[in-house]
Amino acid sequence: MKRHHAVVRITHWVNVVALTIMVASGLRIFNAYPAFARKGETFCCYPFAGRPIPAKLTFGGWLAGARNWHFAMMWVLVVNGLVYLGFIYLHGEWRDLVPRRGVVRDSIEMVRFYLTIRRDHPRQGKHNALQRMTYFAFPILGAAAVVTGLAIWKPVELAPLTNLLGGYVWARYWHFWAMLLLVIFSFVHIFMVFTVDPYSIPAIITGNYREDLSPEERNARPFVHLLKRSK
Amino acid sequence: MSRPPRMGLGHAAERAGIDRRRFLELASGAAGALVLAACDSQGPKSAQGLLKFAERKNESLERVLLRHSSMDVARASAHTAGSHFPSYFVSNTVPRWDESVRGPWKLVVDGMVRTPLSLSLADLAALPRIGYRLDHFCVEGWTAVATRTGVRLAELARLAGALPGAQYVDFSSFDSDYHESWDIDSAMHPQTLVVYAQDGHYLNAAWGAPARIYSPVKLGYKNTKYLTRITFMPQRNGGYWSDRGYEWYGGV
Repeated sequence: MKRHHAVVRITHWVNVVALTIMVASGLRIFNAYPAFARKGETFCCYPFAGRPIPAKLTFGGWLAGARNWHFAMMWVLVVNGLVYLGFIYLHGEWRDLVPRRGVVRDSIEMVRFYLTIRRDHPRQGKHNALQRMTYFAFPILGAAAVVTGLAIWKPVELAPLTNLLGGYVWARYWHFWAMLLLVIFSFVHIFMVFTVDPYSIPAIITGNYREDLSPEERNARPFVHLLKRSK
Repeated sequence: MSRPPRMGLGHAAERAGIDRRRFLELASGAAGALVLAACDSQGPKSAQGLLKFAERKNESLERVLLRHSSMDVARASAHTAGSHFPSYFVSNTVPRWDESVRGPWKLVVDGMVRTPLSLSLADLAALPRIGYRLDHFCVEGWTAVATRTGVRLAELARLAGALPGAQYVDFSSFDSDYHESWDIDSAMHPQTLVVYAQDGHYLNAAWGAPARIYSPVKLGYKNTKYLTRITFMPQRNGGYWSDRGYEWYGGV
């Protein structure tokens, strides 16, 4: 039994490429005007106005190049996301990802375990409560990025949408936040994979996973009990 | 045609007598170089064709989204940019129409029209005047609000008798070789204006005097300033920034 269906594995890696290019090209676009204020106004909520993102973190080379990548890759991101969501809906995987009743209590237990307040790993199914919340939030943040992106791509033709988000300036700000949260969630995800459950890496490539090496079996916290527990 | 035999990197490393650790170092260095080469670059050359394909598909969608009924309305709470409105041109200095050298300025409307027009600023000002308080969307991501006053381009098209085959319009300027061509649907949008006044005053040289094209349905760079000629055409004619890699349609 594979831990992840081939569709999930493929869409995961397509998403890695698409999201990376979307973020890096988006940062290059942002650098053309690294601020939010309308000309002749000030903007309340961005303290780093005028300071560009380091060029090494950007992609596209120049504004036009970055825009061309951004407006091509957005379709890959959207189609890939819809394939993933459609698949997990029809195939049932959504049950492992939608927060269950008691998710807050379970999450608190996981945090207590990670903080070593609690000694034993809470019981879990395929994913722990924190993972469920993260993996559930990810498509929502992705959708937020797409919707806010549409609003700043077409602020005249889709004016009702842009106005709903508070106008172009605010829509651009929400688009930035959607990106930022996606990046933060991604880095936390990658950190936890490497420090808690590196055995899940084969699972998202070939689909194979050794249940006897699950974090629950190993009682694993970040950097703790990375190897199999000796009985 | 003879090609060198293909070999795996590991094989090559063995041949060269490099030990495994050294090979891994080299390989990770190469991978790092690839990543660095990818960042802040335009990406692989082979992708440019795909990007062009995506641009054409996006243009088709943008043309479907364009509605003459969707009008830009600057938010009531938004400040007018006024003197903060950026000045932009491609010449080395602010382009100014020197009457002593070039004679009186005229706006020419020609191409696929029944009666070509040649209009002075006074002629333009005598035509039905329309003003909107509009957002300006720059490709760089900033916006600015200004009141634009002028003549609807659709009115000039009617006066000149633009022919049905004119599917594109080119806007030329005296700012070096700056021009941009548009699709006719965007050009005939009711908010597409030949603007000669901004915030209630005739345009100054920094903002494109004596006249410029302006429409909120196009990004800033599509809106030619220092306007000299409006040419109705059967096909598109590129543009200053469109020819340099920015998308030709540039719709908002």
